[in-house]
Amino acid sequence: MQFSSQLLESAVNAFAQLPGIGKKTALRLVLHLLKQENSQVEQFSETIASMRKNIRFCSMCFNISDTEICSICSNPSRKKEMICVVETIRDVIAIESTQQFNGVYHVLGGVISPLDGVGPDQLKIESLHNRVKTIPAEELIFALSPTIQGDTTIYYIQKKLQQDKLKITTIARGISFGGELEYADEMTLARSLQNRQPLEHYVSR
Amino acid sequence: MLHLEHISLTQFRNYDKVSFGFPGRITAFCGPNGVGKTNILDAIYYLCFTRSYSGRTDSSSVRIDSAGFRIDGRWNRDGQHHSTVCILRESGKKEFQVDNESITRFSGHIGHYPAVMITPDDIELISGSSEERRRFIDTLLSQLYREYLEHLIRYGKLLTERNSLLKRMSEGVMNDSGLLDVLDEQLINHGNAIFLFRKNFSAEFISGTSQYYQNISGGNEKISISYRSVLTEHSFEQVLKTNRSKDLALQRTSSGVHRDDLEIFLGEFPFKMVASQGQRKSLLFALKLAEFETLKAMKGFSPLLLLDDIFEKLDEQRMMNLLHWVCEKNEGQVFLTDTHQERIRSIMNKFKIEYQLIILE
Repeated sequence: MQFSSQLLESAVNAFAQLPGIGKKTALRLVLHLLKQENSQVEQFSETIASMRKNIRFCSMCFNISDTEICSICSNPSRKKEMICVVETIRDVIAIESTQQFNGVYHVLGGVISPLDGVGPDQLKIESLHNRVKTIPAEELIFALSPTIQGDTTIYYIQKKLQQDKLKITTIARGISFGGELEYADEMTLARSLQNRQPLEHYVSR
Repeated sequence: MLHLEHISLTQFRNYDKVSFGFPGRITAFCGPNGVGKTNILDAIYYLCFTRSYSGRTDSSSVRIDSAGFRIDGRWNRDGQHHSTVCILRESGKKEFQVDNESITRFSGHIGHYPAVMITPDDIELISGSSEERRRFIDTLLSQLYREYLEHLIRYGKLLTERNSLLKRMSEGVMNDSGLLDVLDEQLINHGNAIFLFRKNFSAEFISGTSQYYQNISGGNEKISISYRSVLTEHSFEQVLKTNRSKDLALQRTSSGVHRDDLEIFLGEFPFKMVASQGQRKSLLFALKLAEFETLKAMKGFSPLLLLDDIFEKLDEQRMMNLLHWVCEKNEGQVFLTDTHQERIRSIMNKFKIEYQLIILE
């Protein structure tokens, strides 16, 4: 792409660095910004800059927060004894939108995968360890993806925390809600049969 | 009973447009080198497995100066008519239709129209590394037991993770033997399952293979096959523990079910070292026929048998022994190729079996 202005070009390149945005889309966005008032664009860039500068990670659970302790951890009505361990912040948002969980979270920041160069040290495992020691946690719920890496992470953490008297659970794995049985893959279906539920549990929800 | 009644090829390999009908159970293709005998067998293989046996890419199977190909097969299964069509579009997109309906998951088709193909290149199974034999066993077992495939995939993934961790540990980063413990535990779980499957399966499979070998060779050669795994003598847990420092130095997992092998002896010497070309070929047939037998037991009917260039390197007696089984004892449909039509004619006449000879020029 040929540009008549150096400024334009670097702005386009900056936008094109964002995920899912190519050169043409970047150009469209930049040209849109060019049409706007100076003050408006200034406010736009200000918002982004201040977001990056001021945002913090909760020192307890490593969720995104505006304060030292995030709104979930500081909420007095939330059960601090129940900790849900997730991979990323996106998982927190997903679980929060179910409105079914009234405990607190712990964001690991990834799962163990030596292949991708992610070891236990790169994750917030040590701080989880300290956390369950200082606050008398009762239950640790693992909400990680059912992959080899997810399982490895669960086993690893479980081993680390073995000595503590702690109930460790994982979210259920099986047929998705509203899914049709005939389209479920054999492995999921087999697993669902193995871990079938007594009916009273099913109905009470 | 599975029977391929008709096949037509369009722009496939060296054929522009050609079709054949197969009224009988046994069909022989004859013709000089390079006339396209194997290509027909491979086309039949395409109809059964949605891909080439030789491992050639789809696009390289298109006739020169053409775009796209089509293989059209009509089947008779237990009196019911079926059709399978494989189309490679000009765009390079492959379509597979079963009974005029496009299927989306190709892997779901495999196994419905079972076939066993034997080509001269398969001799790698005998003379190649242990990897070839493991792949052979794995392919067969995965078709029999879905669970096995699941264990195999998980084992493979865990193994790469473990090796990667070993590498990083020896580099001094990620020094965490606790993580290695966790990976080991999972690896042991899947490794033990794989070992059990292989052990139980190989007991029967090996005796079947030996039997076939005796039949083909005439019974004067003493051959012994055994499944060799480090887990036969030691528990996997123990193996990983004793090898840990060695694994750390080597930066890979030196021992486990991923190193299993079928060990073959002729008399008291390793088969690979002493066996002649004809003996190797005989053993190849024995292994493949045992595979055939296993598939037949599972499906309840005989798979197709695709024999490419079978007479090459076999002596007269072995040839007769083999054909006796293939044409008389076996009830399934057979396709074979040879360069000499006289040879085929004289052999078939000895057996007094009805067969169809298709001469390619």
